[in-house]
Amino acid sequence: MPLWVRDYSWRQTDSAVFLSLPMRGVRVTQANIFCTEQYLKVNVPPFLFEAILYAPIDDTSSTAKIRNETIFFTLYKKEAAMWESLVMENADKEKKQRIRENAVIKAQEKANEEEKSKAVTKREHKKYALEATMKLEEMERKRIENLKEEERKKVTEELERWKENQRNEEKQRRIQREKELHQEKKRIEEKKKQQINKPTILNAGTSKTRSIPTRTGSCGSIFSEKLKEESFPAPRSAGTIKISFTSRVFPTALRESRVAEEEEWLHKQAEAHRAMNANFSELKDLNEEEKNPDWLKDKGNKMFSTGNYLAAINAYNLAILLNNNIPVLYLNRAACHLKLRNLHKAIEDSSKALELLTPPVPDNADARVKAYVRRGTAFCQLELYAEGLLDYEAALKIDPTNKTLEQDAENIKHIIHGNAKDS
Amino acid sequence: MSGAGLLEKPQVIAHVQQSLNYTVFECKWVPCSARLLCLGSVPRGTGVIQLYELQSGRLSLLREIEKAKPIKCGTFGATSLQQRYLATGDFGGNLNVWNLEAPEIPVYSVKGHKEIINSIDGVGGLGIGEGAPEIVTGSRDGTVKVWDPRQKDTPVANMEPVQGESKRDCWTVAFGNAYNQEERVVCAGYDNGDIKLFDLKNMSLRWETNIKNGVCSVEFDRKDISMNKLVATSLEGKFHVFDMRTQHPTKGFASISEKAHKSTMWQVRHLPQNRDIFMTSGGAGSLHLWKYEYPAQRSKKDSEGVEMGVAGSVCLLQNVTLSTQPISSLDWSPDKRGLCVCSAFDQTVRVLIVTKLNKV
Repeated sequence: MPLWVRDYSWRQTDSAVFLSLPMRGVRVTQANIFCTEQYLKVNVPPFLFEAILYAPIDDTSSTAKIRNETIFFTLYKKEAAMWESLVMENADKEKKQRIRENAVIKAQEKANEEEKSKAVTKREHKKYALEATMKLEEMERKRIENLKEEERKKVTEELERWKENQRNEEKQRRIQREKELHQEKKRIEEKKKQQINKPTILNAGTSKTRSIPTRTGSCGSIFSEKLKEESFPAPRSAGTIKISFTSRVFPTALRESRVAEEEEWLHKQAEAHRAMNANFSELKDLNEEEKNPDWLKDKGNKMFSTGNYLAAINAYNLAILLNNNIPVLYLNRAACHLKLRNLHKAIEDSSKALELLTPPVPDNADARVKAYVRRGTAFCQLELYAEGLLDYEAALKIDPTNKTLEQDAENIKHIIHGNAKDS
Repeated sequence: MSGAGLLEKPQVIAHVQQSLNYTVFECKWVPCSARLLCLGSVPRGTGVIQLYELQSGRLSLLREIEKAKPIKCGTFGATSLQQRYLATGDFGGNLNVWNLEAPEIPVYSVKGHKEIINSIDGVGGLGIGEGAPEIVTGSRDGTVKVWDPRQKDTPVANMEPVQGESKRDCWTVAFGNAYNQEERVVCAGYDNGDIKLFDLKNMSLRWETNIKNGVCSVEFDRKDISMNKLVATSLEGKFHVFDMRTQHPTKGFASISEKAHKSTMWQVRHLPQNRDIFMTSGGAGSLHLWKYEYPAQRSKKDSEGVEMGVAGSVCLLQNVTLSTQPISSLDWSPDKRGLCVCSAFDQTVRVLIVTKLNKV
C-alpha cells in the first residue's frame, strides 16, 4: 500500500501555481513524475501523490525542480484565474478514473508526436550531411580532372614545340645540303671547263631525303652515307638451319586452357584404334605383325588385287576380329564377297560399313559412295532392282559428277521399266 | 586516394584518334619526323600504305599508296636515316622494300615465302646496331628467312623445318644481340608455343623452349647491345620475360611470367629511351605499361656450380582501355619520349602520350 502524500503546500498567482511536495528519504527522478494538462501524479515508492487539478495547465512549460527531500512544481495556468483549491473537488470516482485514463492517453499521444518530429528532423539532418559530402567529393573529382587537363595541355604544347624544332632542323639540313650541292655543282662546272666530258645533269636536291650522287666518279663524294655504305660488311654467306617443332597434332595454335580437352580426344581416338575385342586363345599363335589390323588390311588388299579373294577374306576376317570398328575392312570384304558372288554377305558387309561411316562428313564421302555402289550391285545381281536403284541414287547424291554411276543408274531404271512392262 | 599520388604515375593520354575505312594491321613512326605510316588491307582486297602527319592535334593524310596484295607488316629497321626505305611483308609472301618518295617500283622485291608473312624486323639501319643491314621475315609456312637488300632472290639465312616434318606457323620474329659486326641473333615465336633463338654467326639453333601458348610477339629490349632481356607475349594473356645474360646448358634462360589483359596479348614494345619499360597491348583493347626490376644478383650458381640466371620482377605502372577490339600494333616514337601510336581492329589509329616516363 503506497503512502499518500498529504503534507504538501501550495500557493498561487494569477498565472501560475507553486506546489511544494515533501519527499523524505527517497530519491526522485524525472521518471517518477507524470503530468498532463489536468492530472499530476508523483509515484516514488513507497510514496504516492496524485492530484486532479482544478483547471488545466500548460504542461509543456510547467517545470518541476527536484531538490533534496522536496519537489517544487511551477505550473502555468492555461487560463489566468485564481483557483479555489489545488485539486478538483466533488469529483466522483468514475470521473476521477476517466480523467486519469485521458491523462494517460494524452501523454502517449504527446510522446508519439514528439517521436515523429524527432524522426523528421533526424532525416533532414542526414540529407544535409549527404549533400555536403557529395559536394565535397564533386569538388575533389573536379580538381583531379583539372589537373589531368592541365597535364594534357602541357604535353600537347610540348609536342607542338618539338615538332617545330623538328621542322626547323629539317629546314636547316635541307639548306645545308642545298648549299653543299650548289658548291659541288660549281666545282663540277669548273672541272667541265677543263675536261671535254659530256655535261652532267644534277638535280638540285628536290627530295629532302636523299641526294643523287654525281656521274663523274672522280669527284670524291661529300656525302657521308656513301662512305658508310662501303664500310658495311659483305652479305653473309648463305646458311640454313634445320629445325623441328614441339609436336602438335591439331593445326590450331596451342592454348593452355584447351590442352585438357585435346588430350581427352586424342586419348579416345587412340583407344578406338587399339580396341582388342578378340579371344586371346585364337591370337596366341599369331606373330606381332599379324595382330595389327592395318597390316592385315594391306595384306587383304594385295590379295584382292591378285585375284585371291578367299585369302583376302581371311585377312579381313582376322582384322575385324581384332578391331570391329574400322569401316574400311567391311567395305573391302564386301568387294571380295561380290567377286565371289556371295551376294547376301556382300549386302551385310556394305550395310555394316555404312553404319560405321556415320556421321557423314566430306572425309568419308568416297568410302560411302563405294559402300552404296557395292550394295546396289549386290541387289541388282539378286534381281532386287528397286533396292539396287535406291542405293545407286544415294551414291549419286554424294557424288553427282560420277558418270559411270549415272550410266549404271540409267541402266537399272530401264531394266525396271522393262520388267514392269513384262509382268 | 590522394590526388597527388594518382598523378605521379605515368598517365596515358589519348592525344589524337583517327578513324580509317580499312583494316589496319601495322602502324609505324617514320624515323626523325612527326609522320606515321599505317599499313593494311582495303575491303577491295588490295593493300594500302597511308602516310599521316601529326599537325596541331590532328592527323592529316599526306599520301596514300595502293598495292596489289594486303600488307601485313613493315619495318624501317634496315635502312639508313637518310633513305628511310620501308620494308613490308604482304599476304602473298612477298618481301618488298619501298622508297616512299617513288613507291611505284620497289627498291628490292622477292617472293620470299609461300604463305603470308606474319612478321618482319630489320637491323643494321637507322644508326642502330652494327654490321650489315638485314631483314628477317617469319611466315605461316613455318620458315624464318633473313634477307640482305644487296643480295637478290636468295635469303642469307633460312630456318626451315626438317624435311617431311609438319610445319607450324611462325607468328613473330625479332633481331637481337647486334653489338658488333659479326654477332647477330634472331628469335622466332610459333603458334604451338615454341620460341627458338638462332645464332646467325654460327648458323645454329642456340636455344629453344615452349611456353605452352601460341607466341604472339617477341622483342629484345635493345637490338644493338649484347642481349639483355627478351619479352615474349602469348595467347591467354600471359607474357614471359627472359633474362638473356646467362645461359644455363640445360635450363636455358631464367624467366618470370605474368598474367594480364585476360585475353590474347598481341604486342610488346620496349620504350626506346628506357629499356626496362615496355608496353603490352591486349585483345580487349587495353594497354598495360610495365617496368622490369632487376634482382639483386643477376646470376647465381646452381647445385653443380654452373652459372644460371636469376629473373627479376615486373610491376605494372599504368593500364588503360582504349577500345573494344584488339590493339594489334604498337610503336614508340624514337624521337620523342612517351609518344606512341597504336592501331586496333576497330579501324582506328590512336596517337598516345605517356607522361612522366622520365621520372619512373
